[in-house]
Amino acid sequence: MAIKTRRTPLERIEYVIIVSTLLLLTVFTLQPLLNLLALSFTAPENVAGFSGLSIFPDGFSADVWILLLQHPNVQRGIFNSVWMTATSVMIGVLFTALMAWGMSRPRLPGRRLIFMMVLITIVFEPGIIPDYFLMKRLGLLNTPWSVILYKAISAWYLIILIRFFEEIPKELLEAAELDGANPFQTFFMVVLPLAKPALATIALFYFVLHWNEFFRAMIYLNDQSKWPLQVVLRQFVIEGDKVAIVGANNANNNIGIAQINIRALKAGMILITILPVLAIYPLILKFFTKGTMSGAVKG
Amino acid sequence: MTEQGEGRIDASRNGNVPKSDGVPIDAWPQSGSGLLTFASAFRVQWRQWWPYYAMMAPGLIFFVVWHYVPIWEAKMAFEQVRIIPPNIWVGLKNFQTLFASPIFYQVLANTLIISAMKIVFVFPVPIMVALLLNEIRSGKLRGAIQSAIYLPHFLSWVVIAAVFIALLSPTDGAVNQIAQAMGFEPVNYMTNTGTIRWVLVVSEIWRSAGWDSLLYLAAIFAIDPQLYDAAEMDGANRWQKIWYVTIPGIVPTIATLFILNMGMFLSADLNQVINMQNAVNASTIDILDTYVYRLGLSTGEYALATAAGLFKAVIGMVLILVSHTVSKRLTGKGVW
Repeated sequence: MAIKTRRTPLERIEYVIIVSTLLLLTVFTLQPLLNLLALSFTAPENVAGFSGLSIFPDGFSADVWILLLQHPNVQRGIFNSVWMTATSVMIGVLFTALMAWGMSRPRLPGRRLIFMMVLITIVFEPGIIPDYFLMKRLGLLNTPWSVILYKAISAWYLIILIRFFEEIPKELLEAAELDGANPFQTFFMVVLPLAKPALATIALFYFVLHWNEFFRAMIYLNDQSKWPLQVVLRQFVIEGDKVAIVGANNANNNIGIAQINIRALKAGMILITILPVLAIYPLILKFFTKGTMSGAVKG
Repeated sequence: MTEQGEGRIDASRNGNVPKSDGVPIDAWPQSGSGLLTFASAFRVQWRQWWPYYAMMAPGLIFFVVWHYVPIWEAKMAFEQVRIIPPNIWVGLKNFQTLFASPIFYQVLANTLIISAMKIVFVFPVPIMVALLLNEIRSGKLRGAIQSAIYLPHFLSWVVIAAVFIALLSPTDGAVNQIAQAMGFEPVNYMTNTGTIRWVLVVSEIWRSAGWDSLLYLAAIFAIDPQLYDAAEMDGANRWQKIWYVTIPGIVPTIATLFILNMGMFLSADLNQVINMQNAVNASTIDILDTYVYRLGLSTGEYALATAAGLFKAVIGMVLILVSHTVSKRLTGKGVW
């Protein structure tokens, strides 16, 4: 709408209203998070009166963060979350790509059958109890593998990759074959390098999915030492189980927990959990937005 | 793409069986051919395709183990679970027990109410957000707003619930502080059976309104700009352009997403509810999913819980298939 030239006063007022509405929405989205961030850095003596509306710390103290980062439960949570997510993403990306490559070959015998088999899984979910018993039968209960391997491949991402592989020019693949490459070499040396942007997108999809996973970890892992960060957060903030973070007042905490307000501690815990997502948020925006936009237009 | 001749040329050129896509389709046995032909054709096919099956094997195994074995496990819904196996087959008895229990209907009603509330109050929000965003002339401002409002989509429900518990706290939460400043009494929204469903609605808006607007925005960008120019020539103002050009342009997207939402009617979002639930509000927001979870994993009523889960799965599958078909009929767009 670049040809627009003159604007009446009414249109200007309209525009101001539109922008204000959106800014209000932005405030509504960000304020709760910024408030928690400010709260986590507020000096301990001011936490009690700290307003839920403020987004600037009242006095400054990093005690909450130091305490949380030194806390064994949080450290274990971070460690578990990081390695479980990393492993899940690698397994997810590699096996999704391998399977998508096979399924993208138009003449693969049984292709339609396999496709149907994948689609059925999107529509029909037998429920959590059969899943639980399957884990039990496989002896995976209370091992991190029950969380990592559970539905290691997402049918949706698989379909996205199949579509991507189908568009790789046939000539490239034929050229590789003429050079004597076997299908494995073609896949790893020609297809995968070509698919880097698609693979990065899928990797981010899997990252968000697995980093945010808590339900399976909650029902499959009894052992607190195996919990990812999300479950530690849940136990402490949602279940209100203060023992999770505060109790067992161990000697390796330099700062006395008594001096720290639970409310600030909870705020810090929430932020630690979302930190990795915030850290790669620019990347997420770039890939997800592009993918969703093109998907929606094509769809 | 699928010329049969190409494979023959390849084969004659290399003097061996080509490795990719090259084998002519007619290497498969035609109808009426003998077993011997089939076996030799199979050998030819296998020699060409085994590397692809080998690469697909881990994926196929994952799919069978995580999606098809549980379907077999779900037979528990028709059994009486015993501590010492084997279980006894009892047919539909578990379903009869389930359908005879008043709690089941309470839970079903909660699920339907919450889903309906979400369709009415959550579904239109991203459409409005997209319409507003489209009116912003400065690309930078729009980009900044978008990057901010997309964020909650990438947070887990544990985090969102924790944020809302802080936001709605009766003593120091922002909402009650504003309410008090305006002279209202503070309300504990999380432990109030009258408000907790609205907490679900608002938190769902907080999480998804921004991101879901992206889909509509993409549809708006796909509208032919000439239509806007033509409308302008006719003297249309901002609202007339929205009403007569933009909205008709995104109706297919709206229809598709609406129908898909209907397909998810029995899934009122387990992860959201399980994190927002507490002893006080449970009765109002206990949904089918949390009921299955509680019945099975807390109470140990495995067979009954599996039956309830299966009930949800079957109805859910029917709803999704119906909505997919309707969507395809109406708009030519489906889910897959």
